[in-house]
Amino acid sequence: MRRRYVRGALVVLGAAALMATVAAQDVPPPLVSSQELLDGLKADGSRWLTFGGNYTNQRHSPLTQITPANVTRLVPQWVFQTDTPGRFETTPLVRDNVLYVTGPLNVAWAIDARTGREIWRYKRELPPTGGLTACCGLVNRGFGVLGDRLFMTTLDAHLLALDMKTGAVVWDATLEDFSKGYASTIAPLVVKDKVIVGVAGGEYGIRGFIDAYDAKTGKRAWRFYTIPGPGEPGHDTWAGDSWQRGGASVWATGAYDPDLNLVYYGIGNPGPDYHSESRKGDNLYSDSLVALDPDTGTLRWHYQFTPHDLHDWDATETPLLVDAQFRSQPRKLLLHGNRNGFFYVLDRLTGKVLLAESFVKKLTWASGIGPDGRPKLLPGNEPTVEGQLVCPSVSGAANWPSNAYSPATGLFYLFAQESCNIYSKNDQWWEAGKSFYGGGSRRAPGDDASGKSLKAIDIQTGRTKWEIPDIGGGILGSGLMATAGGLIFYGDGYGAFIAADATNGKLLWHFNTSQSWKGGPMTYTVDGAQYIGVAAGSTILAFGLR
Amino acid sequence: MKWMSLALVVLVLAAADVLAQDVFLKIPADRPTKNPLEGNAEAITAGMGAYRVRCADCHGMDARGIRGPDITQVWAKGRTDGALFSTVRNGVPNTEMPAHPAPRTSDLDIWRILAYLKTIAPATADGPAAGNASAGEGLFASNCVACHRVGDRGGHLGPDLSRIGVARARAAMSRQIRGSMADVRTGYQPVTLTTPNGQEIRGVKKNEDLFSVQVMDTRERIQGYLREDMKSVSDEKKSVMPVFGPDKLTDAQLDDLLAYLESLKGTDAAPPAANR
Repeated sequence: MRRRYVRGALVVLGAAALMATVAAQDVPPPLVSSQELLDGLKADGSRWLTFGGNYTNQRHSPLTQITPANVTRLVPQWVFQTDTPGRFETTPLVRDNVLYVTGPLNVAWAIDARTGREIWRYKRELPPTGGLTACCGLVNRGFGVLGDRLFMTTLDAHLLALDMKTGAVVWDATLEDFSKGYASTIAPLVVKDKVIVGVAGGEYGIRGFIDAYDAKTGKRAWRFYTIPGPGEPGHDTWAGDSWQRGGASVWATGAYDPDLNLVYYGIGNPGPDYHSESRKGDNLYSDSLVALDPDTGTLRWHYQFTPHDLHDWDATETPLLVDAQFRSQPRKLLLHGNRNGFFYVLDRLTGKVLLAESFVKKLTWASGIGPDGRPKLLPGNEPTVEGQLVCPSVSGAANWPSNAYSPATGLFYLFAQESCNIYSKNDQWWEAGKSFYGGGSRRAPGDDASGKSLKAIDIQTGRTKWEIPDIGGGILGSGLMATAGGLIFYGDGYGAFIAADATNGKLLWHFNTSQSWKGGPMTYTVDGAQYIGVAAGSTILAFGLR
Repeated sequence: MKWMSLALVVLVLAAADVLAQDVFLKIPADRPTKNPLEGNAEAITAGMGAYRVRCADCHGMDARGIRGPDITQVWAKGRTDGALFSTVRNGVPNTEMPAHPAPRTSDLDIWRILAYLKTIAPATADGPAAGNASAGEGLFASNCVACHRVGDRGGHLGPDLSRIGVARARAAMSRQIRGSMADVRTGYQPVTLTTPNGQEIRGVKKNEDLFSVQVMDTRERIQGYLREDMKSVSDEKKSVMPVFGPDKLTDAQLDDLLAYLESLKGTDAAPPAANR
């Protein structure tokens, strides 16, 4: 119980003696090892070391202290005010009772996980006004960690290594020139000795990529362009020179399977979003899931959810890995609830589609997914100069906020939205560093907030087992988390933080914050007591049992 | 009468507005590369007042540097008026130097401060440090590195010195090493926590409130503790930084150490392109 005191205790007298002790002693607190990252979430709740909790992105915690029986005793433990305006899309990391949190505007903190008091703060000034486009919003989704370093992407398209103890910059790597529309908002994924990140700017005529950097030196180890260059397979899926500015950004953290030695990333939409004549072809690897060798960046397989996308349906919903019986066979699965309205189960060894079912009723663009994995397109869904009604809307049937999966229930939890847009196109042409949509979308008559729900999908059938209707707001809200205690946690569109029963969706507890949720919840323990941590608006909140 | 005093206020404001406009008119809309107020006696007086209120806490009343660097050397080292204007306006990323955005800080405010600074800046830069930097690096490795960090090497109990060469004036570093600086920098206050069973946790205080204290202990573990869990939490008066008097560090050795420290310009020493 009080081990921490013994570990930290040193009986010395006076400053000089302190110095001598420091010089003589070389047993610093243990560093975050690659093994810890592989081990993922521990039953003692002492850590949360990646965006999705562990490499599977299941966002499922083994903690069981908070349960459906006692969740009504959940109360706020502390509030951390960031004094930073903007949307917090971050998921805090935790290690040794300290939370590590990034915010918008290139800011980050270390916070005492027990009390919510600041330990250090980091801020990188934004570049002088002009030039910073930061598609699509001044946001950041969190840290990666290895050794004694935290890794953070910046709005001016850098990757930083910060010293975990002080927040000081250890190295600073440039991904690309931000003035050309590049930015980075993704939470880095650390695999072995590499830090893997992607680049945002899909609406600014960039050419997307995934990069890996050496965690020690900040040197780039490899780059995978999400749009193949001349001579590479897939290059011919882009007409003319459209590949040079085709978008295909990467802003949602990937997953990693150590047994297959593959990382999985969802890729953003092709550009210009709505005016597609200039980019005839499938536009690989936009709107695709790519499986890469993390040591070299070599592509092993890909699957494209929406070939030649006309509706800005990024595939940036977090890829979620599950090992489960599927159709009476033990399989390595990848689950994905796509913006285009279909829920997919892929074989993550091969990329083969095992199941694809729509999870919304408002879906006009395809009648289903064929045996070859390609959508069966329906006519009359192309943006026009006058405007064309298409479902789902541009924000999608689902979007990037993290989904969750519970091995206990076998259910995949996601936010879903019944919505349509009127899509139009124009003949805007590309200019470096400027937005590049080639059209727009507007509200469809009759669309309202009532079409948003939380769905629990049975992964065996792709059918919705139950749903929590009318969660308010939009699908661009908080992420989801499931726990072995039998709960799911999320923030709803009205500003409440909610706990529901993971088996049936019954609402069990809520706490109103009147905040706009953007970040995903996580959970940890301090001295054996379970906390739930989440970014609410521009504050960080921690809840625990009374 | 209320309306009379109101009218008076309006008159005064109008007059002030005319005056302000008059001064603004002297500043071209496109930012000049040369300070338009250089040598202007009124601007220099106003700049001195503004400097002392807004800059002197870090850069010192004589601008020779305390927590911030010596800024009397900037022109002699080749910076231009336009570049200095940008530095004040936009701040320096990853340092304590903040941005000073409009409207709270006008172009006029910045040019006035620069006009004042120019009057106390020498025409030629101070000479390079007298000592030998590589000998200084050796002294650093044996005396300082346990607590201070440079790049990815060294301890964390004291401030990171990776860019101390641009952040502090030589005289200020010398005073710090010789032990004549009285105050302890925020975040480095030595503290001892005593547990109910008498064990002590020593370290430097990163934060505190009435109910808790956050420290980096001598093992460099960052951690928060509840005061109610402790028998006592006591601050120490003196900085953890030892005094290096001439008995421990000769004047020549101090020069060597200063030469090394002055060479430390950080991981990204080059100012942003726009600031050059």
